[in-house]
Amino acid sequence: MIWHITRRELYDNLNSLRFALTTMLLLALMLTNAIGHLREHPKRMQKYNDAVSESMTRMASHTDDSLYKLAQEGPGKLYKKPSSLYFCAAGGDPVLPDTIEGGSPFGYSEHLRGVWKLKYPDANINMKRVGPDVTKLDWAFVIGYVLSLIALLFTFDAISGERERGTLRLMFANSVPRHIVLIGKFLGALISVSIPFTLAVLINLLLISTSNAVHLNTEAWGRLGIIFLIALLYMCLFLALGLLVSARAQRSAVSLVILLLIWITVVVFMPSTLASIASEFSPPMSSEPFWKRRNQIQEELWQKYSRWVWSGKVDKETLTGKSEFFIQDAEAEERLNQERLTEKVAQVQHARAITRISPATLLQHLLESFAGTGFERHLQFVENTHRYARQFREFVADTDRSDPESLHIIGVREGMTKKKILPEAVPKFEDTLSLSKDFNTRATELLLLVLFVMVLLSGSYLAFVRVEV
Amino acid sequence: MLKTLIRRELLDNLMTFRFAAVLLITLLLVVANTAVLIQDYEQRLESYNDAVKMHQQDLRNSKTYSTAHLFVDRAPNPLSIFNVGLDKRLGNLIGIYHGFMPTLWDAQMHGTDNPFIAFFSSIDIVFVFEVILSLMGLIFAYDAIAGERERGTLRLVLAQPIGRGQILLAKYISAMACLLVPLILSLLFALLLLTRSMPLSTADFLRIAGIVLTSFAYLSLFYLIGLLISVATRRTGTALMLAMFIWGLLILVYPNLIRATVNPGGDIQARVKTAHNQIQQILDEYERERQKFLEKEGIAEEMSEFSKALGFYHQADVDPVTLTTYIESISVLSEIRPDFEKYIPVAKRYYNFVEPLATRTVEKAWRIRKQALDEIYVKQATTDRILLKLSPVGIYDAATQAWAGTDLSGLRDFFDASRRYRKIIIDYLYAKDAFASREWFVADKGTVDWRTLPQFTFQRSDVGINAKRALPDLFLLLLINLIFFTIIFLIFVRSEV
Repeated sequence: MIWHITRRELYDNLNSLRFALTTMLLLALMLTNAIGHLREHPKRMQKYNDAVSESMTRMASHTDDSLYKLAQEGPGKLYKKPSSLYFCAAGGDPVLPDTIEGGSPFGYSEHLRGVWKLKYPDANINMKRVGPDVTKLDWAFVIGYVLSLIALLFTFDAISGERERGTLRLMFANSVPRHIVLIGKFLGALISVSIPFTLAVLINLLLISTSNAVHLNTEAWGRLGIIFLIALLYMCLFLALGLLVSARAQRSAVSLVILLLIWITVVVFMPSTLASIASEFSPPMSSEPFWKRRNQIQEELWQKYSRWVWSGKVDKETLTGKSEFFIQDAEAEERLNQERLTEKVAQVQHARAITRISPATLLQHLLESFAGTGFERHLQFVENTHRYARQFREFVADTDRSDPESLHIIGVREGMTKKKILPEAVPKFEDTLSLSKDFNTRATELLLLVLFVMVLLSGSYLAFVRVEV
Repeated sequence: MLKTLIRRELLDNLMTFRFAAVLLITLLLVVANTAVLIQDYEQRLESYNDAVKMHQQDLRNSKTYSTAHLFVDRAPNPLSIFNVGLDKRLGNLIGIYHGFMPTLWDAQMHGTDNPFIAFFSSIDIVFVFEVILSLMGLIFAYDAIAGERERGTLRLVLAQPIGRGQILLAKYISAMACLLVPLILSLLFALLLLTRSMPLSTADFLRIAGIVLTSFAYLSLFYLIGLLISVATRRTGTALMLAMFIWGLLILVYPNLIRATVNPGGDIQARVKTAHNQIQQILDEYERERQKFLEKEGIAEEMSEFSKALGFYHQADVDPVTLTTYIESISVLSEIRPDFEKYIPVAKRYYNFVEPLATRTVEKAWRIRKQALDEIYVKQATTDRILLKLSPVGIYDAATQAWAGTDLSGLRDFFDASRRYRKIIIDYLYAKDAFASREWFVADKGTVDWRTLPQFTFQRSDVGINAKRALPDLFLLLLINLIFFTIIFLIFVRSEV
């Protein structure tokens, strides 16, 4: 019986104007998305590869010099690897910095330089662009905005329309249980929206995967599968919402007005407005106190170590004093940098947590995570650099320790090994992504989305069961 | 008769559920967003005030002319609450000195806030209107004719001795009267909140009036689009679907689609490179003249000694990307050693020669840079904006930005003012004979008195100028309105019931 009703709904929908318009719209959007990605992605990869190789060359020139130089200059700039699934969700990646600097030793004078530390560049707002603002045309946009609206347009009259036409009375006169009718209608709408969407997605992926410019590996395909399922889940949410309102409203025009207003509030306005409200709280340390603290720490260290720092002697005590000063100074600054970053991140995280009330934000977060872009990805990158920084420091210490002639005083030329080091021996920075980790961090949001769908579905069931014709 | 029709339509519209719902949601969204925006504005204002104070302090702490830190700050525009435009995105802090031409591409942010917040898109009142008003217009219009045709009442109305044009006019007037209620009411609430927390001048109210007028034209256009669909279709169901898809296309899809498909035109890299070379030549010429002067004075050989005496730091450079040209020569020293006292007259002559030369050089480079910047940055932005204007949203956005003064021209006004201020400062330095003074490079015999320095003031452009920038777009909106109305009339007159 369910199939009977579903089939009827399906035939109704497939012949309608909205189906034709939906197909055209989704195809146009997904085609543009694929073409844009094919055009931009090679450039992005090129830029990344160039930057990484330049960083490598610089590091190699340091290894040629000595271990001391390496310990002083550090690994140089570390770059975030662009995701090959950028077209799924750009996720503010143009705003987020794509590099973290592991270098920039503080120069006290020409012959006296400290050791490297991690430095986090700020988000790069492009202040030079004077053009109009636009949203990136990615899957997140197509699914989040367009598909959700389409789902509402397919369901707003599913029940109220039948009531208006009087066919609802006819259907209830048959011996079909009401929940079967509801499920049939739901499935009918789901299938009829899925057809154009799947078609558009397939054509999009066909274009992207057959081109030589972008290479998708097995993991990327797995991620795409998850993203597709999330999109279907998100679509279900709006279909259920549409059925719920449609069952309650007497006329389909009223039902549509209610749905549109809900959609506008939840999808268009809630994410930004709530984020603005939430970000008023917990502002991070501003730059002035930051520099004050930085200077204070430096001053203290300075007082403690200054008699060794400026001394030209090369005895063990002086060298140890110098080394301790450099290392502690770098550590203090790195700690302070990290603290400031943590505060900034906390502010954004607060805002992000609150906006999760809106399913559109949930979708955005989920898509970003599985596409390997966006804020969470950036945090992962930061974590990767931390791990690498430890690895790098250990490498320097180990290499130095393996030379019995060295004094094992890191950070000063006279105290470190003078042996040659091979550039290949230095650990390389590998920016990795792991799917299982993404799943774990996103589990709450995934569950929240499922919860929304369940609530709305049961809500529409209750509304429909009690409906009077 | 027209009156009766209008009254009937008005009652029909006002007593509906959709009217109540639209009114409620508009009020809610506008008020909530205004409150957030006001808070944001106050924060920016505070950060601006802090920056101004800090820069004044910095200037007072500068003892010599050459090490002076003179910065001007851009205050946030209170009307950015209506349309934020470029007000928040572009830099709001720029250095002023004779060896540098300030432009908006060199400006920095004085804000101390978290740049990661830029991650979230910001919403202004015009954006709320863009989405809501257009939807409202379409929802009220889609069944205006098609609905009556379906119910059969159209036949009845047409049986009366009324012209078809009158019927259309009655529908239009009454619907607009209805639709204006949420617009005006929500604006009143917004203004109530605004005037409580910030003083608005008469000019600001006139600008807001301009924004309201533009919003009205925008709303009317979407009503007419809906009416056109309604006239052209037989069934309300079809009309509704068409209306919704057109709405999605015009508001959501088109503005984002067009930017994704359009490629930046022309070879920008090459253009930057030529301009860079030209400016580099000008700088080379400057350097040659400087060297010539040093040789003439006979200090070219003892240059290292000379720069040591003056604590000399000299740099003349042009940025390869933004073409920022600057010539900096600073003396960083607290006193002159007695054995270097003999260099003082030469140093005075040196600065008196080099600094005016630097001023002229930078001005010469500016003529090249200005053209290049227009071609690299402004041209692309203008094309984008014109393409966006194919959707009414683009026109509406551009017009309201012009009214609020947050468009590119409004922002450029500030940087024009900062360039004028630079000129004033240079004149002041000449008048004081500062270049040839000892205070230019060392402060051991008296520091610079900054109290007589001319202050920087910037007034946002006159309402008249705002109007001049906004009116073309407003007229365009009105013209499209007129065209749509004519088309609707023609179709309606010829249509069979």
